[in-house]
Amino acid sequence: MAQLSLRNIRKSFKSVQVLHGIDLDINEREFVVFVGPSGCGKSTLLRLIAGLDPITEGEFHLNGRLMNGVAPSRRGIAMVFQSYALYPHMDVYENMAFGARLMGLTPQEVEARIAEAARMLQLTPLLKRRPRELSGGQRQRVAIGRALVRKPDLFLLDEPLSNLDAALRSEVRLEIARLHQQLGATMIYVTHDQVEAMTLADRIVVMNQGRIEQVGSPRELYERPANTFVATFIGSPRMTLIPVTHAGEQLTLEGAGSVAPGQLPASPDGRLTLGVRPDALAITRATDGDEGFAASVIYTEYLGDNAYVYARLGDGTQVSVRTGPDVQFAADEAVTVSVRPGGAHFFSAEDGKRLVA
Amino acid sequence: MPKLRMTGRGLWITLLIVPPMAFVALFIVYPILLAFAYAFFDWQGLRRGDFVWLENFHTVLFVEPYRSWTLNAFKNNVIVFFALMVLQNGLGFLLAYALWREMPGARFHRIAVFLPVVLSTIIVAYLFKLFYHPLFGVINISLRSIGMGWLAQPWLGQGNTALWGLIAAQAWHMVGFPTLVFLAGMQRIPGEILDAVRMETESEWVKITKIVWPLVAPSATIVFTLLFVGAFNWFELPYIMAGLDGSPFGSTDVLGLYFYRTAFGNVSAGQQDFGLGSALAVLIFIFIAIFATTLTIRLRRREIQL
Ligand SMILES: Nc1ncnc2c1ncn2[C@@H]1O[C@H](COP(=O)(O)OP(=O)(O)OP(=O)(O)O)[C@@H](O)[C@H]1O
Ligand SMILES: [Mg+2]
Repeated sequence: MAQLSLRNIRKSFKSVQVLHGIDLDINEREFVVFVGPSGCGKSTLLRLIAGLDPITEGEFHLNGRLMNGVAPSRRGIAMVFQSYALYPHMDVYENMAFGARLMGLTPQEVEARIAEAARMLQLTPLLKRRPRELSGGQRQRVAIGRALVRKPDLFLLDEPLSNLDAALRSEVRLEIARLHQQLGATMIYVTHDQVEAMTLADRIVVMNQGRIEQVGSPRELYERPANTFVATFIGSPRMTLIPVTHAGEQLTLEGAGSVAPGQLPASPDGRLTLGVRPDALAITRATDGDEGFAASVIYTEYLGDNAYVYARLGDGTQVSVRTGPDVQFAADEAVTVSVRPGGAHFFSAEDGKRLVA
Repeated sequence: MPKLRMTGRGLWITLLIVPPMAFVALFIVYPILLAFAYAFFDWQGLRRGDFVWLENFHTVLFVEPYRSWTLNAFKNNVIVFFALMVLQNGLGFLLAYALWREMPGARFHRIAVFLPVVLSTIIVAYLFKLFYHPLFGVINISLRSIGMGWLAQPWLGQGNTALWGLIAAQAWHMVGFPTLVFLAGMQRIPGEILDAVRMETESEWVKITKIVWPLVAPSATIVFTLLFVGAFNWFELPYIMAGLDGSPFGSTDVLGLYFYRTAFGNVSAGQQDFGLGSALAVLIFIFIAIFATTLTIRLRRREIQL
């Protein structure tokens, strides 16, 4: 169990600043996921927490102790690496025993912990194999097992599933979720896969360009994204952002008509960004006098239990609309896209921040 | 058509392979076979005498004074091998580790460490001869200037320091080679493996002995084997620094010098004996071949695929 507090953490490599002041608190037993596009600094932040790279500026406390400058091995943290980083010259047993012995445990204790970890991860028949003789999923489990035997307060996992195929990925994902429940340890998990983030996390930290955009539960992020970045990053297909002007109850898109999605937030100059997810849009064949935006269909994606229709609005904005599986639209067909009541998000046209109605 | 191309290809291969093969046969295989043959004859100068079976081998191994000379030279080679193992390969490994971990100034030192390797042995030998000079050598002058003149001594002129003086020169000259090979081996270790170790210990000793050393085993195989062959074929440096007699009093005599002296004679004693020389050469060759092969096979076994 571990409680972390990061205060204004900055990191520079030579003259390039990569993290621009990270503030974050993580509670005991929490499963926190860092997500963000490639290169946004997720791994860098994780390595600072692990102690593998020095913190340029700011303070990191773990269980109330200042960790800046403390060696990685003395932080009570275990890390699972993307490439697994198993010791190629040791068999599975030795891979797990190595760190445990270095902690000064008795041989009996080491033995017992490995037996337990091996049982949990179904590694018992593989204990005498070298990493080279294991499949990707098995290696991944050994890497987790190696972290497990040290009984750390805090687990760090850097994209642990990215080298696995889709089927294995969901299997190991489940295993990790189960482990977290069983162990009750704090876990920080890095990924750029939002499905992993949504399914595993107690709280998600969305990062972009070395900054935190929003921290919250998966539901919060989905239902109340703090800005347009989070809004489009979480959810698939992406939320559509439509630049509209605002007059009375009506939101108007230049050359495409208008909608009235209910209560609207105040906007000083009458401009807004309207955000709608595919499930909050409805699509109908165009008829005169419709309420909604005029659009033309690009193509339809049939997924079995439902379908997504992609259409282009009058100003060129592309929207995706979720529909039932039976709808049929031809390409270039003229349609009307309307917003379901309560399904609209509003963002400032200037800085992309969420506006509350 | 394919057949024609094959002959064209075959022609190319032949053209490329035959000249080097002929070269190797003429200048390496033939002399070795010749030395084998010579070793079984009695020689009067350059004139071949009777076929004497194994008598030459018997003489160099069991008849005085050759027996003592052989043993003395062999003993010195063994000392050289083990000393260089520590000074050259051991130091090379540590240097490589320091360079790999990017200790301050690593870029400069990478070049500095390797630079002596490209110097010719002649230069290094004369340089160190100057260093060791009893009166004008930089070593004795430095010792005197810091008030430790009692340590100043004729390094190459006395039996108990001469061989070590040569070993130090050799180690300085060649330490860059194992360093480079080990460094290349270390650079093949994935960074995340090193990170993984750092999560478990901060002891450099554990990192080196338990992780880095086992993982650079392929480099060790190459470096050990080459050092072994080099140590038992050692010739140029002692020849230039200590002369053909392994002076003083044979304290720097090694098999290379001893063989040369026996086969071709030296300045002070004009006697030369091709038969004994060839017998020595054959013995050295067989010894090195057997040991180097065993060494390589045994070391290969502990190599690990990364
Ligand atoms: N050792 C380094 N030296 C210089 N720049 C670095 C170093 N490590 C990372 N960076 C830079 O820092 C930024 C963040 O990198 P980081 O590896 O943390 O990204 P990430 O969010 O983990 O991305 P990904 O999802 O692709 O793994 C990148 O722009 C990268 O180029
Ligand atoms: Mg990363």
